[in-house]
Amino acid sequence: MNSSKKRNFLKVIADDNGTDDTERSSQAKQVFDDSDTARWLRACRKLGQAGYGASVIDAYERYSPPLARRVGTDCAIDLADIVSSVAIKAGRRAAECLPAAAIKAAERLEDKEARFRSWMGLIERFADLAPESVEPVLLKMDVLLSRLNVSRLEAWLLAGVRAAGIDHERRLSFFMFEDAEASRWLDHESGSVVYSDMDRELKAYLTALWGIRIPLREPPAHAPEQARRRASFSQSLIRIPSSFPGYRGEQAADLYRAALAHVGAHMMFSGDRFPIGKLKPVQVALVSLIEDARVELLAIREFPGLRRLWLPFHIAQATGSKNAPGLMARLSRALLDPEFHDMDGWIRRARTMFYDRCGEWECPAISREIGGLIGNDLGQMRVQFNARTYVVEPPYRDDNLGLWDFGDEETPEAAEAEQLFDSIRIEEQDDDDDMPPDQEREEHEQSEDEEANRINMEFLAQDGIPVARYPEYDYVTASSRPDWTTIVEFAPPAGHAHVIDDILERHAYVVNRIKALIDSARVSRPQRINRQQEGEYLDLNACIEAVISRRMGETPDPHVYSHAERRHRDLSVHVLLDVSESTKDKVVGSDNTVLELERQATALLAHAMFGIGDPFAIAAFCSNRREEVRYYRVKDFGAPYNARSKSCLAGLSSGFSTRIGAAMRHAAADLKLQQTHRKLLLVITDGEPSDIDVSDRRYLVEDARHVIHDLAHDGIDVFCVGLDSGGDSYLTRIFGRRNVVQIDRLESLPERLPMLYFRLTA
Amino acid sequence: MPLKDYLITEEPYYQSTGKEIAHFEAAYADRMPIMLKGPTGCGKTRFVEHIAYRLRKPLVTVSCHEDMTASDLVGRYLLDANGTVWQDGPLTLAVRHGAICYLDEIVEARQDTTVVIHSLTDDRRILSLEKKNEVVRAHPDFQLVISYNPGYQSVLKDLKESTKQRFGAIDFSYPSAKLEAEIVCHESGVEQAVADKLVKIAERSRNLRGHGLEEGASTRMLIHVGQLINRGVPLGEACDVALVLPITDDPDIRSALGSAISACA
Repeated sequence: MNSSKKRNFLKVIADDNGTDDTERSSQAKQVFDDSDTARWLRACRKLGQAGYGASVIDAYERYSPPLARRVGTDCAIDLADIVSSVAIKAGRRAAECLPAAAIKAAERLEDKEARFRSWMGLIERFADLAPESVEPVLLKMDVLLSRLNVSRLEAWLLAGVRAAGIDHERRLSFFMFEDAEASRWLDHESGSVVYSDMDRELKAYLTALWGIRIPLREPPAHAPEQARRRASFSQSLIRIPSSFPGYRGEQAADLYRAALAHVGAHMMFSGDRFPIGKLKPVQVALVSLIEDARVELLAIREFPGLRRLWLPFHIAQATGSKNAPGLMARLSRALLDPEFHDMDGWIRRARTMFYDRCGEWECPAISREIGGLIGNDLGQMRVQFNARTYVVEPPYRDDNLGLWDFGDEETPEAAEAEQLFDSIRIEEQDDDDDMPPDQEREEHEQSEDEEANRINMEFLAQDGIPVARYPEYDYVTASSRPDWTTIVEFAPPAGHAHVIDDILERHAYVVNRIKALIDSARVSRPQRINRQQEGEYLDLNACIEAVISRRMGETPDPHVYSHAERRHRDLSVHVLLDVSESTKDKVVGSDNTVLELERQATALLAHAMFGIGDPFAIAAFCSNRREEVRYYRVKDFGAPYNARSKSCLAGLSSGFSTRIGAAMRHAAADLKLQQTHRKLLLVITDGEPSDIDVSDRRYLVEDARHVIHDLAHDGIDVFCVGLDSGGDSYLTRIFGRRNVVQIDRLESLPERLPMLYFRLTA
Repeated sequence: MPLKDYLITEEPYYQSTGKEIAHFEAAYADRMPIMLKGPTGCGKTRFVEHIAYRLRKPLVTVSCHEDMTASDLVGRYLLDANGTVWQDGPLTLAVRHGAICYLDEIVEARQDTTVVIHSLTDDRRILSLEKKNEVVRAHPDFQLVISYNPGYQSVLKDLKESTKQRFGAIDFSYPSAKLEAEIVCHESGVEQAVADKLVKIAERSRNLRGHGLEEGASTRMLIHVGQLINRGVPLGEACDVALVLPITDDPDIRSALGSAISACA
């Protein structure tokens, strides 16, 4: 039955459901037995009566019988409910695509009923989450399932939903693959090797092999397709593709290694860039090709194993096509592979020319010379070369842009920004590394005003600088999405330092109590105290000496016991303040805003810790979507606590949302570098984490909870001071019941603080 | 002679990489205390053994550790059936009978321990045994040598300024590629070509120093790899066993190092 005829026929049954049961049942009987036929007919009738339009029923009727053959009658009949629910939520067009997509899905899921059912469930849920995107996703179902299984598909769909938040258009552009993120996450979820998985390893590989340390970056999202497929380098930056489609597992990892080994070979042996002059595109390509071969052969002299790494990617055959890209791929192989014999005249000539000069390989000029000559030859052979479609082969080789001097100073802003970005990171690390933990103990308040006036963070202008990316945990897929959140550091707006001094004056009594409390807390490794008059253990050395004394006729020393005791406080504290919009609220039963109370509590704690000499840092955070988790450094470890930090603390103001997990990860990164016995992250917040691009209330709560677990692995204790603004409190869920104290007024802080220190020593 | 057992009778192999032997011998002529600096496994201990052999002096070596007390160095009273006996510690032994005393990795020892050497390392050259109520004057042959690895110790573990300044220092680093290959050849018995490869591999790991590794592969590690190769283990596996696995637990760095090694051979 062709489809137009069928459509007419369906129109009839849509109009009048009673009459065409006979037609349907004759069809159905070929697939279903009697009782199933009745059920199927009922399902069809139900769809018909719901009025989704003929095309929906048409699609269902057409595809459900073959579906029944694949995944069983029950599934095929249940599909009607899903069609119906998709039609309600996502519209008729999406519902129309569903049955066809279901067939493809069944095929891809190897006709396993259980898998198919979970796929149906997933589609139904997806229709809830992103109704506008159901249709494009269903249309791509075959491709998607060719790379993902159902749970991976779910993770990918959720990545799209989470990435766009509540922004419908952005969501749609993700699922239409207009957003480059979509492919990136597809790569990620399909288990292809993506650059971010290998980032550290590749950097170390480049350093180990060539002793080169230079930033590696993925190409920017808006880069043209060609630029995304091949590596590229300049003097200060290497761009490396986010993924190499078509290569999987170890092969893809090798491709990345091969690419970096190749770029490294250029950096070692290529010397100055060639002036582009008046060379034709084909000559440029060939000079580059010869240059590639030259540096590779020099590299192989040094590291013979590299030939093993590179050769498998040369797959050109001697019988390959005689167009320019084909010939060039064959030449590349002929130059590198001693086993490869190509009878083509041009290739043989080029190879002989190249190997005749092997004594001069150290000199880059020969590439230019040979490349020019064989370029002329190729021209005479009338082989066409299209520079626009040409992509360097094999895939590990870079686009060779770094070899050429185009005359103009090409310093793309992006690259510059990247470098800047990198230098800031490096600076920060150096700072942290160089600063011994007990430096803090020696800090003085010297030149306080000078410090306060000097702007020593020129980088942190008003715009903020992205400094780090962190993963975020999705409880639905029970996995973390790498590089999901971006921390943007802003310079804290300056306030008046005297505000803080006022607080201290007003609460002088509390200040002293807190100071005494902290001072008496002993947070360190227990130490064994020997030679005590009493104690839990015998001090063996003392005992022996006592016996010796007795034998020698002297009076033995009675201090023969030892006991264990925590004597010092070896603790760094990082105070993290939530300054989101909700901190503008009043604390229940008080006139103070949450932020005000946070400021007061922090001022008190900081004053006490500073007085005692404990290393501590203060930072504040709020967030504006996952791309911009704002982070304000009020005081770093190692920096003095002076008028400047006080004015930063005084200047904090409320705004934006609470993406607490990302902020905690960033704060913990600083804390990890501390070398104290215990490390405490003290979060002061008012309740529920949230962000404007997150609609699922549980999502950020679970992420934060996950961070706490991770930090526990790193030996960081996280403790929360909750300032109750009357809202629902998720704090116990995140931090654990015992790790949260709620305070509503400043005076109760000293009452609660001992509990915190008790937890650290217990 | 009480230190007979401490005399080195066979010449230990040592490949000089500079003027360190001449410098040391000059320092010994005046019994100047010497500290040997350098990364682990670059031949500090072997150098001292070699020198002791050349000078025909007994060598008393103490490996320092963080629980070491002063009495572990100078000695203590012990009990026996009849009463108490004094037992000289290794340092006292060397001081009394004229040996070269080599304190290996001195910074590992607690700082209060290291001050006992102060009176030995200036012109007094005495060691006082407080418990025994005795002052030992150093034998004319006695010399103190310490080793000190500034690389991986944290700032918390550094020598006191007052200790540092009593010593002359000889700096050791990895020998040049050619010399190192020679050393690996001699010590492990592998062929020259293999030794060259091993040295190249070591350079790869040393490139990672501070960028994933605390310290690059030492000459000693290369010798271990060579020994495994000599027993028929293929080069790649030998590198895994004796170099990559011991040197780091970080999977990324392991993998990177593994790839770099396979590029070398």
